[in-house]
This record gives sequence, C-alpha cells and structure tokens, in this order.
Amino acid sequence: MKLGYKSAWFLLLAIVAVVATMVAVPVWLIQPFAPQTPRSVEISYFLRSWSPIATVILAIAALATAVVIWRGSRRWFGKAALVFPLLIVGVFTWFAFQNHFEWMFNPLGEARFARVTEADFLADKDMVLAVNVNGDAVAFPVRLMAYHHIAQDVVGGTPITATY
Amino acid sequence: MHDEQTGSWWQQITGAAIQGGLKGQKLTEVPSDEVSFGVWKRENPNGRVMRPDPKILAEDKYDPEDWESQVGKMRVTTSATLDNRLEPRAIVVGLTVGGQSKAYAFSAIEKQSPVLDFVGGKDIVLLLGDDKRSVRAFERDLDGKKLEFFIKPDTNEIVDAETGSVWDFSGKAVSGELTGKQLTKVQVIKDYWFDWKTYHPDAQLFGAGSR
Repeated sequence: MKLGYKSAWFLLLAIVAVVATMVAVPVWLIQPFAPQTPRSVEISYFLRSWSPIATVILAIAALATAVVIWRGSRRWFGKAALVFPLLIVGVFTWFAFQNHFEWMFNPLGEARFARVTEADFLADKDMVLAVNVNGDAVAFPVRLMAYHHIAQDVVGGTPITATY
Repeated sequence: MHDEQTGSWWQQITGAAIQGGLKGQKLTEVPSDEVSFGVWKRENPNGRVMRPDPKILAEDKYDPEDWESQVGKMRVTTSATLDNRLEPRAIVVGLTVGGQSKAYAFSAIEKQSPVLDFVGGKDIVLLLGDDKRSVRAFERDLDGKKLEFFIKPDTNEIVDAETGSVWDFSGKAVSGELTGKQLTKVQVIKDYWFDWKTYHPDAQLFGAGSR
C-alpha cells in the first residue's frame, strides 16, 4: 500500500490524537478531590492497563509515518514540522509508563518506627491511626498519612496496609 | 490504591478491589483507632510510632500543622446527591452495627458525650476522650445488663447509673463494683459527612429523627 503525502500527515495527526486521548482521559477522570463513578473508574482502568503497550505500538507507527512524510516532502519546513507530533507522541508514551499519583503522594513502602519515648516529632494533641495486633501496638501519625496515604508494615505477625 | 502484584485497583474506604484481576475480593479490615497521641501513648507505653520519612521532611513536603482546616475549606463535588442535614465537610463519626450504619456529628458528641444510643439491635455508647478530639464507641450491654452512662459533674468521670462504677476511655471499669470489666468496642471512623454518606447511602444521622 502506497501512502500519499497528505494522507501520511493525516494519519500522523490521528495517531497523536489517539495517544493523547488514551493517556489524558484517565488522568482527567481520576482527579484527586473529584468524584468518580464506577463507570469512569472502569474506563480509566481499561485505558491505564492498555496504554503502555498501545502507545508504544502507535509511537512506532508514528515514526514510520514520519519517515514517509520526510521522504515525500520537498520543502524544509515540511520536515521540520514533524518535530511537534513526534514530540507529543513521545511525551505521552513516556507518561503512559508513569504513575503520576506516586509523584504526588509518595506511598511509604518501608515505614520506619520510633519508640514512644523517642517520638519527639509528635505533640500529644496530634492524631494517630492506631492498630494493635497480638499486642504489637503501632501508631501512624495522621499528618504523615495525609501525605503518604499508604504505609505498610507487619504488625504482630500480620502484614497490614494503613491507608488514609 | 493499586497493588504491584496484579495491578488491581482498591477502594480505600472499603478495602475492596474494584478493577483488575482481584476485582470483587476484599481485604480483611484490621480494627483501628483514631485517637490523639496523648491518649494512645498513655495506653501503649511500649508501642511504636511511624517516623516521618527523612527525605520528605527535609524537602518540607509534609502538610502544615493546620492542613485539616485548609482541607475543610475545599469545595465538595460528588456524584451522589448531597444530604444537606449537615454541611458536606462537617466531621462525623460513623459506625455500623448489625448492618445498620449511623453517623454522629462530631459537634453533637462534643456537646453530649457520653452519647447513649440504640443501633442495629444493640445498645451502644459513644465517648469523647479527655483530649476533646478522640472518639470511641462501645456496646453497653454487659453480661446481659444494659448500662446507662453519665458524666459525674464534680469529678468529670464516666459513671454507670446501675452500679456507680467508674469507666475509662478504653471502655474498662476502673473502680466500683464492675472493676476490671471491659465493654466490647465498636469500630468507628471519622469522616466528612459527604464522604460517609456516599459510601453509606442508607446511614441514619444521630439527632435527625431518622430512626
């Protein structure tokens, strides 16, 4: 199949639109402090699961299309203009592999602990989220949880996750 | 939140997987307590406390002291219809007994503690801690006997009307006839009214004549 110059440009812009939509829609649907519906969560999960592989395939297709355009274009600015769609596809493809929530919230994979007497970082009035499993009493300061949102530990032999 | 093993998505308030390979599964809830550090360390002198992450602390990224009042001012948008019996960001204490959920405005507990109530077929009591911030709930049926609690005005102690025994914030009788007896704890969660209502659409509201 021979791809014409104009249809190659059309195809390239269509790929840009698909890649951008696929990556941007879940980010927009799953905003902190905004409500979600079961349907919007379902769509977001679907897009988030498929976007890493799909964006890579589409990025390769975009490159191939760009080669066609490069060969077919006689003027320098036709070639130079390729930078923008390729850059957009590249950025979105990279983003599909990122978990941007971890930039914001920084879950604590390995929490570290202090004895009660060493806990000089807390005042008596500060709230804690406390659990006690088999006599192992652990407190998660709420102000720290409001930042990390997730902390994990083994308490009294039971692996737990604390979430806020 | 998501897990790194299957990539499933989990809903924080229920612990249920809502998308992904583990969809429909639910994590076992560990009973927890949201109390002030002062109350907690008195009861758990040998406990351990999670430290701040030194890196985050150095970058000064933890929320400021007054983060709660700042979040309290944020706009509320939900997909559910708001229940305007309380302000959306009013702090409530929620509990579920025998399948029945009920919310108590924190301000009502502040005024009326100990709050005596009957929810889901059980007599319960809600107590405000002496820090005026921590709230706990207990069943108040003890060995087949229903207890009525009140605050003794002169000493500020929690006393039951039946035996005059004195109870502490952990639900334990510390003096009087019932010394050593322990009330059964009811799990409570502090939440914003709009959020609690979203996850418990059938919840009753204390003092709202919703019984």
